[in-house]
Amino acid sequence: MVKKTSQQETATAVVVDEDELSADPEEDQTFTDLSNKLAEIRKDKGVIGYILRNTTSATIDLKEPEKIVEYALFSSQVLDSSREISDLFELDDVESIFIEGKENNALCMTIDGNKISIFMEKDADHADILKRISP
Amino acid sequence: MNNEVYALALKSTLQEIQNACPDVTSNFIFNDGKILAQDKNTNEETATQTIAPYNAIAERADILGGLETITIQSAEGKVNITTINDFHLTTVSSNEADEKYVNTLTRILIPIVIKLVEQIQPASTDNETITIDQTEPEEEDTTEEIVDEPNVDATEETVDETADDDADTENYQPYEPEEETTTTEPYEETEPAEINYEPLLPEPPVTQLIVENLSGFRVPSDTVRVDTEVIAQWNELYSDKKINEVEVEALNGKTTRCKFNPIKKSKDTGKGIIKMPEKIQLTLETVAGELVTVKPVVE
Repeated sequence: MVKKTSQQETATAVVVDEDELSADPEEDQTFTDLSNKLAEIRKDKGVIGYILRNTTSATIDLKEPEKIVEYALFSSQVLDSSREISDLFELDDVESIFIEGKENNALCMTIDGNKISIFMEKDADHADILKRISP
Repeated sequence: MNNEVYALALKSTLQEIQNACPDVTSNFIFNDGKILAQDKNTNEETATQTIAPYNAIAERADILGGLETITIQSAEGKVNITTINDFHLTTVSSNEADEKYVNTLTRILIPIVIKLVEQIQPASTDNETITIDQTEPEEEDTTEEIVDEPNVDATEETVDETADDDADTENYQPYEPEEETTTTEPYEETEPAEINYEPLLPEPPVTQLIVENLSGFRVPSDTVRVDTEVIAQWNELYSDKKINEVEVEALNGKTTRCKFNPIKKSKDTGKGIIKMPEKIQLTLETVAGELVTVKPVVE
């Protein structure tokens, strides 16, 4: 069964490669659960937005939709490079990555194949967000 | 040049951080794509390979206004890379590590060391100016700089000879040791092979002691006896260095260097006295009951 999900609160197109579409129901359920959690977190003061994606679906909700590509590239780069660094020091699977920027912060993680990036202001409580999103 | 000064100071600091937190498995600092300092547990190749993925993230971090810190929490430990004054400090620790303690140490110690090195830099900055002059083929200028130094009148002949022989300019040997050693030091420092990575020693502490007579049949005339507590402090401060002599200065400014031994009698320890043979008292023009200052000569 091929399914394509795209919840776009910013009316920005999300491209999904049709060839890769093959989600199992369990993965689909995790995606839905995470999507609901993120929608709740998004309401928090200080949360700028988030990107949630797996091999079949993606949900993006950002304050600045015109910068969606930059956010997506950053998110992807953080997850890839962090795995690389973790492998170098033989630290096993990456659980979460917290990036402190000069203006904003970001929290990235992978849960059951779902890649999550949450962008927030400096004063947002990232530990609390991590707790709420973690299984 | 600057990086070498930083490396020296930072390497010791990193090692101390690891000593203080055994849960820190590796820590190193990179700057401009090169490893600047690392602790002894860090594999240089691994450290070098960390730079590329870090830079890849940093390049995309404009949406956050630039990258300050990245913390990767993995199943078996965590990696933290923090930017401090253009230096990137990487700390790899186990999950058992007290994050707050490690962060407090690293984020306070490293900036302090960097700041201290920057404050010490003015001397090095002067050196660099001369270094640049030397690398330029204008050897006459280099010679002129030496000539312009004060107290050179007495050495004019030597300087003229040096100026005549351009090829020998770099091998110029200072005539007056005290004044011109400082002038010629920069030339020595420009050679990387001569960089000494020994840790910086603290300034010798100056202790004020009261002179007491030391006489006897088998008392060596060139040796003073110093309070054992004072010697213990020196040994603590310079644990791995040998102290064979002390420099004693009398109130009138006269100084002498001599050997020393601890005061033998236990009743005299902790009283702040220095036992001195008559010969040394005469040299210093001091007498029993007067104050002198003593500092260790660290070899």
